[in-house]
Amino acid sequence: MWFKSVLVKTLRDYRIAILGWGIGMGLVVVSPMATVSTLISTPQQRAELASLAASFAWNAELVAPTVGGYATFKIGIFIFLICVWPLLAASRMLRGEEERGSMDVLLSLPRSRVRVAVEKVAAMWVALLAMGVLIGLVAFAGGEQFKGDFNVVDALLFGLDLALVCAVFGGLALLISQFTQERGTAAGWTAALLLVFIVLDMVHRVIPNTVWISQLSPIYYYNLSKPLVPSYGASAGGMLVLAGLSVGLAAVAVWLFARRDVGDTVALPAWLRLPQRAARANVMPAGEWSLRSIYARGLGMVAMPTLWWTLGIAGGAAWFVVVIKQSEAKLQELASGSSFFQTLITQFGSSNAGFNANLLSAIFLILPLLLMAFAVTQVNRWSSDEVDGRLDIVLSTPQSRLFVLLGRFAALTTATIVIGVMTLAATALAASAAGLKLDTGNLAAATLGMIPMGLLVAAVGYLAAGWLRTAADTGLLSFLLAAWFFISFIGPDLKLPDGTLRLSPFYYYGTPLVHGLQLADMVLLVSVGVLALALGSVRFMRKDIAV
Amino acid sequence: MKAIIQVERLTKSYGGKRGIVDVSFEVPEGEVFGFLGPNGAGKTTTIRLLMALLHPDAGSARIAGLDCWQQSIEIKRLVGYVPGEPALDPNLTGGQILEYFANLRGGVDRPYLTQLIKRLDLDLNRKFHQYSTGNKRKVVLIQAFMHRPKVLILDEPTSGLDPLNQQVFDGMVKDARESGSTVFLSSHVLSEVEKTCTRVGIIREGRLVRIGGIADVKAIKRYEITISFASPVPPETFASLEGVEKVEVLNEGHAVRLAIQGSADAVVKTAARYPVVSLTSYEPSLEDIFLRYYQADGKVPEEAANVV
Repeated sequence: MWFKSVLVKTLRDYRIAILGWGIGMGLVVVSPMATVSTLISTPQQRAELASLAASFAWNAELVAPTVGGYATFKIGIFIFLICVWPLLAASRMLRGEEERGSMDVLLSLPRSRVRVAVEKVAAMWVALLAMGVLIGLVAFAGGEQFKGDFNVVDALLFGLDLALVCAVFGGLALLISQFTQERGTAAGWTAALLLVFIVLDMVHRVIPNTVWISQLSPIYYYNLSKPLVPSYGASAGGMLVLAGLSVGLAAVAVWLFARRDVGDTVALPAWLRLPQRAARANVMPAGEWSLRSIYARGLGMVAMPTLWWTLGIAGGAAWFVVVIKQSEAKLQELASGSSFFQTLITQFGSSNAGFNANLLSAIFLILPLLLMAFAVTQVNRWSSDEVDGRLDIVLSTPQSRLFVLLGRFAALTTATIVIGVMTLAATALAASAAGLKLDTGNLAAATLGMIPMGLLVAAVGYLAAGWLRTAADTGLLSFLLAAWFFISFIGPDLKLPDGTLRLSPFYYYGTPLVHGLQLADMVLLVSVGVLALALGSVRFMRKDIAV
Repeated sequence: MKAIIQVERLTKSYGGKRGIVDVSFEVPEGEVFGFLGPNGAGKTTTIRLLMALLHPDAGSARIAGLDCWQQSIEIKRLVGYVPGEPALDPNLTGGQILEYFANLRGGVDRPYLTQLIKRLDLDLNRKFHQYSTGNKRKVVLIQAFMHRPKVLILDEPTSGLDPLNQQVFDGMVKDARESGSTVFLSSHVLSEVEKTCTRVGIIREGRLVRIGGIADVKAIKRYEITISFASPVPPETFASLEGVEKVEVLNEGHAVRLAIQGSADAVVKTAARYPVVSLTSYEPSLEDIFLRYYQADGKVPEEAANVV
């Protein structure tokens, strides 16, 4: 049954993702519903929120005093994470098969290229719709449990809106993969564009008369619909734009795929191509720095991803600093009139700290999460290098297994430090340029304090790679990341016991932009990381390679 | 001659699945040893145990007197290795890959490396993922030979190479042997093993079923004789003769093709009773011998088991 067509076979490949992503993201939506009632328990709080909604466009749904509104606000932060699956799946869809060589076999069947590609795209859309339905149903169940005032149709429309925006980024990844030799490059470009689009969507919230800029972003059209907020509803226009973009991007991608050589890329117009290099002599690249050792090679491998993630993390942090300075007056005016808003902001900061520092502190919680996600991608690469046999010849040279593992980990450590330092430099420069006063020590603590967080995830990943294959290792780390973040992000609202909150590394990271880093907490994080790395090293020295 | 590879009762399983069981053999220094077996027989497991990529469940493997697991770093200074499936960083060029491994080995003889590159006619400027299967194999072969190793451990080294490059490879193995290196290679190309190797081991379902010199192995004669007669001859005449394993009737009974084990004396004498038009005998190839060891019943002939 599962092997009757390309569509069904591709759906089969997605079955675990559909269930895991659908139910997981559904629970992400439901989690904040559990806490909203305590935040808007009094009529005064509700009234404050309603007045805020009328005066300020920044996440209007945040101030809508409803279960669905609060959930919509919280899920908005995770749009990047939600789009990760379609982005990876679509960049792998055609290019990944070409890299593996399995596309040649698939295209040897009596099926046209267009049909093969269309069936694969259709499978992704069906998978996204199924995820959307699951998210909607879980959200509806949550709404029923926590007295939400939206019905099942609203919940399903919410899921549909998410599925549509995911389909747009899936289509974009598929299109970009027609121009890249490797799926990873396509995924990287799409992720970078996703970040750009998220930022573009935010522009009109802080800078007046810039809606036209935000309208360039698919995220803007996603945000036009807020089906979980009954007073807001769904925007048929917004959804149609998203559907149109999804179909358009996928159609162009399929059209290009049908016309190019398999395994090759679409030829760019002459004016976009890099100048042709003169024919190189057939000589060895002696003296190339990245080929001198395991560590240097590790650095060479991680260099390009580091550049992209640095742009995302450091650039994003700097942008937040500028935005907060620009909207300072407006936000302070809002906060002064709303105890709810003040409570929310000081949840991530301190009543004694400055307003800007508190707000930035809340936003800066995302940065270590992103750095940890970067570490997950690099652990994935280490694990796949072993599983795919790329370490076999390396280990046939007179390099000890311990040296190989530590060389790669040292390269990842260097990359993590670079991202941390660049984030510090970018935010300090942005604060200085925007005239925002931040405690330099705390800023350094907030940015450099991310480094042990990233390395902890990497060390745990290296340890788990001693037993688990790549997909399981990545899945475990992703689960841990999500669990840790929700323990710290939602846990206080859910009044989770202190012992549970302490299970998350975010607890030890704290709110350094306001309070600085606690040395004992950092030592504990580093110690756990070192222990995990030591155990991972011992395991790697003794294990069967690529079994 | 002193054994440079010593394997004794080497055993490895993957969970509940069989890898190899009680495999023992020795390879003298300077020998080219062929390791034969079908897919899943245990060739790659044996080789990966020699390379310390796997940890043995029992038994021992030594190269140059050093334990393959405990002293793997010292061993790897002496060894050049070609894995069964060449997996390398897809984004590096052939030149970068060779430079990288030359550095990891602490430097190599550059003129010799250049000579190998020219000999195999490798384009150094293409990325690994852009290479054809044969060119990928060339990169892996060069990195195995480039430091003039004392021992070469090669897992299906010619898989994907065209006949011209297979000849070049044969030349490289010959040169390595002449310079005193020992070569341990697994292959499915039996004619190549026949050409290249001095001794052969045959592994089946994880157990070494046969080991011996090429000439010894070929001595387990299994002739094929085709006899044409002027008039039809009943096939039963030959079926009951000593050594005849199979009788095939050809040309409406005017000819028979006989598979014979051992002496052909009885067959020749019986055929002489009829008007013979022609008689053709085929020498068994290593391929034939190999296939015989892996026939459906899997039985190993008793007399064959004693050949060393």
